[in-house]
Amino acid sequence: MASPPLLRAACALVPTHGFTRRALALSALSLPQPHEQPLSDTAINALFGEGDDARRTLADAWLENAREEVRGRFQGRAQVPRVNEVLEARLEANEPVLRHLPEAFALLASPTYPLPPLDPRPGLKHAFKVADDACRIAGEATIGTDWYVRRGTLAAIYAAAELHQLTSPTTAYAFLDTLLAASATAKSSLDDVGTFANYIARSWAGIVRSSGVF
Amino acid sequence: MTLGARTLRSLAQSRRYLSTTRTLPSAQYTDPTKRHDIAIVSTPEDLPPSERHVLDSALRVDQAGEVAANWIYRGQMAVLGRDPNTGPIIQDMWDQEKKHIAVMNQMQVQHQVRPTVLWEVAKVAGFGLGAVTALMGKEAAMACTEAVETVIGEHYDDQLREMEGLSTSHPSIPLLKDVIREFRDDELEHLDTAVENHSQRAPAHALLSTVVGAGCKVAIELCKRF
Repeated sequence: MASPPLLRAACALVPTHGFTRRALALSALSLPQPHEQPLSDTAINALFGEGDDARRTLADAWLENAREEVRGRFQGRAQVPRVNEVLEARLEANEPVLRHLPEAFALLASPTYPLPPLDPRPGLKHAFKVADDACRIAGEATIGTDWYVRRGTLAAIYAAAELHQLTSPTTAYAFLDTLLAASATAKSSLDDVGTFANYIARSWAGIVRSSGVF
Repeated sequence: MTLGARTLRSLAQSRRYLSTTRTLPSAQYTDPTKRHDIAIVSTPEDLPPSERHVLDSALRVDQAGEVAANWIYRGQMAVLGRDPNTGPIIQDMWDQEKKHIAVMNQMQVQHQVRPTVLWEVAKVAGFGLGAVTALMGKEAAMACTEAVETVIGEHYDDQLREMEGLSTSHPSIPLLKDVIREFRDDELEHLDTAVENHSQRAPAHALLSTVVGAGCKVAIELCKRF
């Protein structure tokens, strides 16, 4: 769903002005029919929330924008992309605003009320939404509990890669690839363990049944 | 049996009489030659959020219900599988449920629906219910089937009514309604089979039906949300 025009204009200003009320104020100047003056403080309070709440609204809108950008990038393609490519595209979408992102995440995690002191939920929701989008775009057909496991692992991998990107942007893509390869190896190892354990369990069941106890 | 279930049974019988020469709607999902049909691979994009939520929770509950039904029959087969009279009957009903869950899984992927968190719970509870009722006797197993299929039949009917209001012209929605109608008729056929196999003779039939029916309704409400 497209965000309102003001928020979209504000998102375009984030690379230069950061996730600030100033970006929200200046957004009115880049509308199709621009205003004369930037938005006043009361206008921002009314439209987007008081104090830091306005900045949180902007951060949420920017994250939503980035998701739409990734979706749009893979929309018309004939070949279905892999999950690696979609997550890399999402990391690329972070690059214009990389130096402002730590503040954005800090804003999302800091509370509006005194308790709880830190709220991990917005960060987790963001990672989960990215993973969900990646699975949908890549057309993964997981069912049941696997659906959650797959998205959980991808969310964790993406979150780790994004945190890596905040400190070391050039090596982030290699890091993401390493993590995805490691998770694939781990999954195949677990599957092998499961098959072997199943075999052993069935052997024991056969032994017990033939021992004449029952 | 409730008045509603009796009406549904007569509806199902008349529809079966009329549809013996048509191919089943779910054949579109199980037929390998129709794998790229637009009605099977894509989901309507133009649904407003409230209707999308209705579609989501409906498919989530249906998938969970079919998982539970599969595992109920698995539990019953584990106990009664070797019985020469009841075993083949339960096996037949289980095979139909296997087809149902295969179609439901395809629909979950097609419409990008979140499956229920209670997936494993549905499996365990279904197996437990099937095994316990089968241990109580053949008639109790049939009574359990009767109670579950009654609730499911009425539930599918409610869903069909809810889905009348979906305001999109995407071809997958009429197909979905046809498939649910077909599955409703299948479940009511299982209900008939259970009654024919003396489910009414089960010990404490009324109590058993009430408990199982109430449990199913609670499960449906939970799976709609979670």
